[in-house]
Amino acid sequence: MRLATLLTLCVAPGQVLAQEPPSTPAGEAAPQAPSADTQTPSEPPPADSAPADADLDERMTNAEGKVAALEEQNAETKVDLSALKKLKISGYVQARYQYQQSLDDSGTGGFSRFTVRRGRIKTTYTTDWSQLMLQIDAVPTTGVTVRDAEATLYIPGTHQQMGLTLGQMKWPFGYEAVQSSADREIPERTRVVRAFLPDERDRGVKFAGNFLGGKLNFSGGVFDGDGIFNQGYVGSDNDKEKDAIGRAGFDLGWVSGGVSGWYGHTITKGPTDTYRKAYTRDRLALDAQLYLDVLPIGATAIKGEFITGKSYWKSSGDVKIEQPGVPASGWYGLIVQNVGLTDAVAVRYDFFDPENGRKNSTSEGRPASTNSVGTLAVAVLHYFGEHFKVTAAYEMPVTAAPGAPKDPHDNLFTLQMQARY
Amino acid sequence: MKTFIGSLIAGLLLALPLSAHAGNVTVKGSDTMVILGQRWAEEFMKTTPATKVQVTGGGSGVGLAALQNGTTEIAMSSREIKDAEKQKLRARYNTTGVQIPVAKDGVTFYVNEGNPLTALTVEQLRGIYVGDVTNWKQVGGPDAPIIVYSRENSSGTYVFVKDHVLDGEDYAASAQTLPGTAAVVNAVSKEKNSIGYGGSAYAKGIKELKIKKGNEDIAPSAENIKTGKYPLSRDLYFYLRNKPAGEAKAFIDYALSPEGQAVVTKVGYFPVK
Repeated sequence: MRLATLLTLCVAPGQVLAQEPPSTPAGEAAPQAPSADTQTPSEPPPADSAPADADLDERMTNAEGKVAALEEQNAETKVDLSALKKLKISGYVQARYQYQQSLDDSGTGGFSRFTVRRGRIKTTYTTDWSQLMLQIDAVPTTGVTVRDAEATLYIPGTHQQMGLTLGQMKWPFGYEAVQSSADREIPERTRVVRAFLPDERDRGVKFAGNFLGGKLNFSGGVFDGDGIFNQGYVGSDNDKEKDAIGRAGFDLGWVSGGVSGWYGHTITKGPTDTYRKAYTRDRLALDAQLYLDVLPIGATAIKGEFITGKSYWKSSGDVKIEQPGVPASGWYGLIVQNVGLTDAVAVRYDFFDPENGRKNSTSEGRPASTNSVGTLAVAVLHYFGEHFKVTAAYEMPVTAAPGAPKDPHDNLFTLQMQARY
Repeated sequence: MKTFIGSLIAGLLLALPLSAHAGNVTVKGSDTMVILGQRWAEEFMKTTPATKVQVTGGGSGVGLAALQNGTTEIAMSSREIKDAEKQKLRARYNTTGVQIPVAKDGVTFYVNEGNPLTALTVEQLRGIYVGDVTNWKQVGGPDAPIIVYSRENSSGTYVFVKDHVLDGEDYAASAQTLPGTAAVVNAVSKEKNSIGYGGSAYAKGIKELKIKKGNEDIAPSAENIKTGKYPLSRDLYFYLRNKPAGEAKAFIDYALSPEGQAVVTKVGYFPVK
């Protein structure tokens, strides 16, 4: 109450002073007492309430204006964000330490090295009826290269279940070649896949569709056939031959699989040719995946694939050399056991016969390049949350030895850390 | 080196935790199901006080994403899991997930009680939501602009309506998104010329539209939804990475028990058993 009085004094000193009797000089007559009318001005005049209402109205109007402005800004932001929602940027880095044994007791071969195997950035922009996908790889060894550059048109009315893609993309063949390297348990693909589908990509046109609610799927198209590494012709085709490639698959949830076919030709010069000529380049593959939930520690996946065909590519250092018309085959089996939510163990055996049953040969006690090779790989994986995975893998290649070649000491240990977003 | 590598791998194997089961059960996802999930959790914890069941919303997409990144044991979803989500589960956990229908629901379109319309065809609803129909008089109502309310795109109901009503087309830009079905109901009850949608459990204080099919107006009634006669009937699901075990299994068993299914009816949905 005292505070209120004090505030009143401070705010309206004039009013307070006006109520005090005016000081008058001595001898002057005292003024007459004020009339009743003049004694009431201390009460607030009725007009005081009108400005308060006006103030409230004004404040409400201002507030409404601000809300309307915010709504407008919000609408604009939503329009901007709806465009951004269509854009997805992802990527991953696979950094490794690797140790390979010396090939023999003399100390030949082998290595101990740090590498960056993959450094990917992928941009995808998807609308109701189209998709753009661009993926680049940036690593110290090969620099920056384009992995995927795809333009997809979804067929209207199919809810993006069918689309036509033109550009550079993965060959629609088999299971492992199409699988993302970021998802694979063993650091590298199998020998048979690397031989028949090196770098997994090519330029071409592809139709892909899901049918019967995703239970059946088909993906197929026409491609240059030479891949993205075609030495001397990177990014372009060096012949007019086109290859037809496709896979028809099924997916029943716990079991999926498919059959893949590849028919085409390559125009090249074989070891005994004088001039270039067309060689058959074909492949046939069967793949199957089982997803089981029987053990209490976690789910189990069993996967396998068989590929046979002609004209595969053989790696010779950094160069891949096509083997025109040479028949080859291979297969692999993989078991992955999840252990809880953050760990997994994978065991894979893959086998590749580079000349389809041709008798293996030896050279100074070492296996020749025509030897079939079986590789047993074991990997332990640990996931640090959603974005980080550590893999410790040990691969033991076992070279067949009908001619008694010596199995080289080429076991490989890989410790890989993968970060992705 | 061989010994070293062998020891390293053996050590890593031994370090693997052999159990992933936590003491508590986390349930996350569909806003349509969040009240149902919470009621189940309350009732379940009365009989099993040692187990804590934590239920949160966020939308079906959020729940299924949490399932993929390991932050929930059970995802609630008012739509079926998408292929892309299934592929992520495969890639990460080598499983396609386990789908358990736990209740039935009918997606209901709401209008204000003052709106004289009682039924619309699916095509008319599509026209309203894609923006072709902007005035109520175009569908037999009063001459007034239509105010369209929708859900956010993380919502399973949003996806269901997009797939089953809009035939995959985009919502009109003018559709205002609201964060939950309760918010849609609230907005429709206050705005005379508006329309919204959501689960039937929330349809209180506003008018539910029937779906006109041929000469028949089909109401989102219990019978029509259970038999699937109502064109926008759907199942409500629990999704798990692996087959249920431990506390999660006990909770799901309760939800599917006669007592749990009675809760479904009380909340306003329809039992699966």
